[in-house]
Amino acid sequence: MAPKKDLSVEFLGTRCENPFFLSSSPVGADYDMIAKSFRLGWGGVVSKTIGIIVSDECSPRFATTGREGMPWLGLKNLDQISEKPTEYNFEQLFKLKRDFPEKIVVASIMGSNEKEWSQLAKMAEQAGVDFIEGNLSCPQMTVNGCGCDVGSNPEMVRSFTKVITSATKLPFIAKMTPNITDITLPAKAALEGGAAAISAINSIRCITNIDLEYNTALPVVAGKSAISGYSGAAIRPIALRFIQQLRSDPAIGKIPISGIGGIETWHDCVEFLLLGCRNLQVTTAVMQYGYRIVEDMIDGLKYYMQERGFDKLDDFIGLAHSNILSPDKLDRDYYLLPAFDPDKCIGCGRCYISCYDGGHQAISWDEAARRPVLHAERCVGCHLCMNVCPLNDVISPGEVRFKEGRSKHPVPCQHDYD
Amino acid sequence: MKKYKQSGSTPDFTPRTAMEEAARCLLCYDAPCSKSCPAGTDPARFIRAIRFRNVKGAAAVIRENNILGACCANVCPCDQLCEEACSRSGLDRPIRIGQLQRYAAEAETVYGMKVLSPGSERGAKVACVGAGPASLSAAAELRKLGYDVTIYDANEKPGGYLTYGISKERLAQSVVDADISKVVELGVNFKMSTRVGTDVKLEDLRENYDAVFLGIGLWKANIPDIPGNQLPGVMSGIDFLRKSCETGDGVSAGKRIIVIGGGDVALDCASTALLAGAEKVAVWYRRSLREAPADQEELCSTVKLGVSITTDMAPVEIIGTDAVTGIRFRGRDGVSSAAVSCDTVIFATGQSADTMLCEKLELTEKGLVAAQDGRTSLPGVFAAGDVVHGGKTVAAAVGAGKQAAHMIHSFLTEREAR
Repeated sequence: MAPKKDLSVEFLGTRCENPFFLSSSPVGADYDMIAKSFRLGWGGVVSKTIGIIVSDECSPRFATTGREGMPWLGLKNLDQISEKPTEYNFEQLFKLKRDFPEKIVVASIMGSNEKEWSQLAKMAEQAGVDFIEGNLSCPQMTVNGCGCDVGSNPEMVRSFTKVITSATKLPFIAKMTPNITDITLPAKAALEGGAAAISAINSIRCITNIDLEYNTALPVVAGKSAISGYSGAAIRPIALRFIQQLRSDPAIGKIPISGIGGIETWHDCVEFLLLGCRNLQVTTAVMQYGYRIVEDMIDGLKYYMQERGFDKLDDFIGLAHSNILSPDKLDRDYYLLPAFDPDKCIGCGRCYISCYDGGHQAISWDEAARRPVLHAERCVGCHLCMNVCPLNDVISPGEVRFKEGRSKHPVPCQHDYD
Repeated sequence: MKKYKQSGSTPDFTPRTAMEEAARCLLCYDAPCSKSCPAGTDPARFIRAIRFRNVKGAAAVIRENNILGACCANVCPCDQLCEEACSRSGLDRPIRIGQLQRYAAEAETVYGMKVLSPGSERGAKVACVGAGPASLSAAAELRKLGYDVTIYDANEKPGGYLTYGISKERLAQSVVDADISKVVELGVNFKMSTRVGTDVKLEDLRENYDAVFLGIGLWKANIPDIPGNQLPGVMSGIDFLRKSCETGDGVSAGKRIIVIGGGDVALDCASTALLAGAEKVAVWYRRSLREAPADQEELCSTVKLGVSITTDMAPVEIIGTDAVTGIRFRGRDGVSSAAVSCDTVIFATGQSADTMLCEKLELTEKGLVAAQDGRTSLPGVFAAGDVVHGGKTVAAAVGAGKQAAHMIHSFLTEREAR
């Protein structure tokens, strides 16, 4: 039994029972699905995007990256917005809010012009949802002037956001596209337009694989394919980076951020929270494993809080933000030698190979003992050896050495490599 | 009755599961698996090829290094060779190397690959006596070096022990034939049903060929000198298996069968007898299971078939007047004894060489052909495999045959230089 911990968090002036929301996608397509997810513990949902237009989908729609026998690393999808009628979708959200008043229901909307955006925002308010999220970022829309066409154009972001925020009093979350060099530009435009929060990131335009039979990308749709959005564990590092960049911009930093991108475990959740997100959204892992994954997010987060002595999420939200600097600000006075444990080593020699071929030739190989031998005078402390070692406790941070002419000072090192 | 599965209990790899297994490989620097393969098959190289999606390359590595790569993959006691050496054992359990070899070897057939080609003709001729593993390996290697090679064998079909000694359940004839077809493709000539010593004299071969290789194996059964060993119902393991191989689907030997021995031949006899319809088959071995030379996986699957194994008991007398009615054992401890009723006793207690082909050939005390680095006492006559090292694995015979081929090559090139 997990320890009792309060996972509730305030987001846009509303108390959420936990930060775990389904993100806008097929996992939040209708009442029955969302109701099931609520019963399993999800704190809220951002609905499948509702538009005036009804999308016309292709088949098949997905492709994955990864290794045999391993879960997907990434998922490519060609899915667009809801295939169901607009009124039907809002009715579903209305019923959800009626039956699950303690859960947070967010309507994701997408218009193709100002009139549609305004109309959708009003319909969402009538349906009684808590917030509205604007899908300014879907990378595979078949209609021009939609999705990431909008999100990568700050001017359009600003004007559409203005339309929405003038049509409704509900807090508006602008969903950002990662398919842009500087994510702070559309984010600032959204804030100028009146957005109350930013959610980031939507999927990344990609080609996951090339089919060698048809010489096209995957999935093969009648012999052809298209660039479309990539999601899942593979994009988490990119999502974290964008969030850090958003939070680092003085004009945006204080605005609540809902973190999205490759979340699968409580550990991933904590990472987004430590960067300063107040809300978390998940789809790909749910498509892969089902709504039930929230159970381990809830438990895991509680155990984490117990271990670290936190009582509420606000005790640790944002703790990592200020420790991530630009590369020029890092301490470059020292290097950290790896320490080898010959008793735990199983003698595969991977550290030796990598240090020679990809490092600084600081490890030699004792053929008789089948063990690596470190030559400290050649080692630069890059720790490539530690990263290729198939065991996690054979190579660990060892002696700290200071470069010539640099003054000695305490150096905190990583200890937990699990 | 449960179906007897080829080589152990795990299903064959699919492309996906093979990749999973190959990804478990640590890709060791010094590859102890490769060092421990008597045939020099180089598992480290073919596993790495699978790991990096080069399955055809893996098939080529196997075929280039081991002309009987598919046979070995099916019958090699990997758990005592490459898999025992595997570094991954230090982490959890070894890579299933034999099974990966089977998978990669099959790719050669699936893709219709032609890996080997003969060397440019040297104009020198070599006769290989015997069409078993050692001789096939020597012949193939010599063909690759450009020699004109002819194999002589007393049997109707080539393969030696592979064709006439190992049960078809464990090693399908199609696998043997596929491997041998590669030797045929190389252009090796086969003179079957021709016994050297009677049909053709060794002296004639020495006269007509530039060198002679003896890879005649061990075909004389060792039956312990105990009372009753001449009774009807007593037979040798190799005779039993040979008959079984010749008839195709097992030979009904009796109802209650006792097999004496602790090697793969004993297990083969036991499973073959059981599948041929014996009521009760029991293996009795004079040493412990730990000391048994049999492949452990094979041992397990034989037991799963319903064969019982009793250890530390040696036969002392076969009971019966006109035919076998039972057998008496004495324990290794000097105290235990047992009398067991049966109608058939199969001795799988080792074989020795049938070296009657030439009086001038020097033999060892054990009756094997005396050879140093493949050279026998007769100039220009080389020998390797079981007939020299006294009954090891197919892989050992392949390795020895290959080495002998290179000895012959240097012998002939030296002679040429003179």
